[in-house]
Amino acid sequence: MAIAASRGPWRRYEIVHESIHHYGSDATRSRNEVRLQPLPRKGIHLESFRLEVTPAAETDAQVDHFGNPTWLISVEAPHSELRVTARSQVSIATGAGAPIAAIPWSPARLSRNAAIEFRLPSPRVPELPAIQALADDMGLIERDWESLLRANRELRLQFECLPGSTLVSSTLQEILDLRVGVCQDFAHVLIALARHLGWPARYVSGYLVPEAESEGYSHAWVEKSGPQMAAGSASIQPTKARQAIGTWQSQWAATTATSLHSGASSFPRRRGLLPRSPSGSPP
Amino acid sequence: MLQALPDPAVIAPARVDVQAPLAVATDAERRRLADATRAWFARNEVNFGISIAGEVVQRPIPFDPLPRIVDSVGWAWLEKALAQRVRALDHFIRDAYGDCRVLRAGLVPPELVYGSTSWFRSCRGPAALRPGQITIAGIDLVRVDGRWLVLEDNLRVPSGVSYALASRRVLADLAPELLAGPRPRALGDYPRRLLAAMEQRSPEEGLTVLLSPGPANAAYYEHVELARLMGIPVVTAADLVASHRGCWLRQDGGNLPVARIYHRYSPEYLDPLGGRDDSLIGIPFLFAAWRQGRVVLANAPTCGVADDKRLFPYVPALIRYYLGEQPMLEQPLTIELDSAARRRKVMARFDDFVFKPVNGSGGKGIVFGPIANGEEKAALVAHLDEAPGSMVAQPVLEIERLACVASGGDLEYRRCDLRAFVVMDVDPWVMPGGLTRVAPGTDQWLVNSSAGGGVKDTWVET
Repeated sequence: MAIAASRGPWRRYEIVHESIHHYGSDATRSRNEVRLQPLPRKGIHLESFRLEVTPAAETDAQVDHFGNPTWLISVEAPHSELRVTARSQVSIATGAGAPIAAIPWSPARLSRNAAIEFRLPSPRVPELPAIQALADDMGLIERDWESLLRANRELRLQFECLPGSTLVSSTLQEILDLRVGVCQDFAHVLIALARHLGWPARYVSGYLVPEAESEGYSHAWVEKSGPQMAAGSASIQPTKARQAIGTWQSQWAATTATSLHSGASSFPRRRGLLPRSPSGSPP
Repeated sequence: MLQALPDPAVIAPARVDVQAPLAVATDAERRRLADATRAWFARNEVNFGISIAGEVVQRPIPFDPLPRIVDSVGWAWLEKALAQRVRALDHFIRDAYGDCRVLRAGLVPPELVYGSTSWFRSCRGPAALRPGQITIAGIDLVRVDGRWLVLEDNLRVPSGVSYALASRRVLADLAPELLAGPRPRALGDYPRRLLAAMEQRSPEEGLTVLLSPGPANAAYYEHVELARLMGIPVVTAADLVASHRGCWLRQDGGNLPVARIYHRYSPEYLDPLGGRDDSLIGIPFLFAAWRQGRVVLANAPTCGVADDKRLFPYVPALIRYYLGEQPMLEQPLTIELDSAARRRKVMARFDDFVFKPVNGSGGKGIVFGPIANGEEKAALVAHLDEAPGSMVAQPVLEIERLACVASGGDLEYRRCDLRAFVVMDVDPWVMPGGLTRVAPGTDQWLVNSSAGGGVKDTWVET
């Protein structure tokens, strides 16, 4: 994944997100669902988006429950490697009026009950007694913005951000036990705390805009919605405090996939496929 | 799932004369017929798989030759009542995948939609909004003091209709004289109705197939038998391939388009990318194809959201809300156990309640207060502390017992329910008859086939 910038009142970036899936044996076909197309918002304009798949694939763009553009990829030919490259060109307004890191979150745009939906436990963020204990420990009582900011601060103090310390499949309970993680784990803990306090909160993944002429990173963070915020949403980044571009997700993975292998039993065998990014694991 | 107070003598005399003519035969005659029907079921391999030490063993489903008789007026009422219920459930499913009007009206707790493990975000799309999410409903009824009550709405994979068909066939084969007098209503060609209902949803060119999880499934007999009667092939996941454009049957000479799938899967296993990601028997992108209306699934994978025992208490409200009608069928009080205070109250009257898992089937995990021992009670309490929302409680009911042929040919009275089958074409159609399920013994409570229960024919009088 690489982000390159050009100068101007609008700064233009190119995001290249490359995932390579290696199969142990030839896959006779594969199916992938990819959420790599950035969502446009105020101050961020998506100029173009292109998805390249090798070997040749049939693709179809649909919009998922959360409003994310979702690309369905079907490969029918036998292959031992699948390469998915997403190229996005985005323009970001600079200077005054530059966007804060939030994607405008109007619950009505998602579904009219989003405020309820995002307050309830979800598969990746179940209701756990350990969250109650953590909230008590952090002194979180009030359902106010200050409590949420405190939760974010405490999280950085009490949990260690350690690249490579967890897997994409690590559970919330494991993170709470270990007290280490990467951005996605911090995001999950913060979502659990926010929901515990009664805030609707959702998981967002995307890219951090580089500060200088360096490369950006893929990243995950939390958004919450509430009556106090004029914009209807605010974004909190447990591990980074920078501008970001993203899509919102129900799950942790930008891609989900299955493949069928030749010589396998009559049942398709599923593989856990992790997107591989040249810049290493997410911060 | 049946409950009653164990005093058959009270109900016994009244039942004998309605079960004519076999009830007035001699013990020897009844025993001969019972033996012959049992042999017929074995010969025709009318099997149901029972799990024994982790292995599924296929064996003939126990059959009782004394039919249940339902009078025509009572049945006509039941047809209307069942159609009403299924129409309302179908409305709810579409709403749960659409605007969720019912949540905004405050009639159903949002957890029953957004928190349901049977509500799939991957199923949201045009197909989930079309009428007829339900193609087949299996509604479990019991009679208490002569009134019908609903105990369960089976909408994921309502099974058992083939045993009802076999129950009629065995009597026609072995005791045609029984059917010669005042004949029961014919079962109305259920397989053809089901096929027609699926074609009504998609008249497109393409195959109709029955998708089975395979021979290890308890109801595999039914999969093969229904497919035979419908004239469609039985396929497994390995035979199908899906993409966003549709679904195909894999063939050596080239794939054949599949337009309609009658599946026998619990829906979360249908597509590993849309349902459970650990499903080894799923077809990737099947939901994507279904969502866009490229293939019909019967039942739609959306139906599970309405087949959840936590939703059950709200069904009468759903009927009023969506149809503006008074609910016809009554149902027992169902108590959610998520609040500790309510749990304590219910536990204090443990003997009056039956406890059911919210997503269970086949009678698995059910605890009857009146017969549970101390150990079972303690295990239930511990389980509820761990997962308070996982079970509901219903009061133990004194349900109808029907005369059955005992091993000596004499009569004994066992608890029975009735699974009624409703096929949703443009309008709901109720099969005239149904599967009367019979507890395995006079002191038994469960009628489920997986708990050793048997079946008998159901005669609707003309």
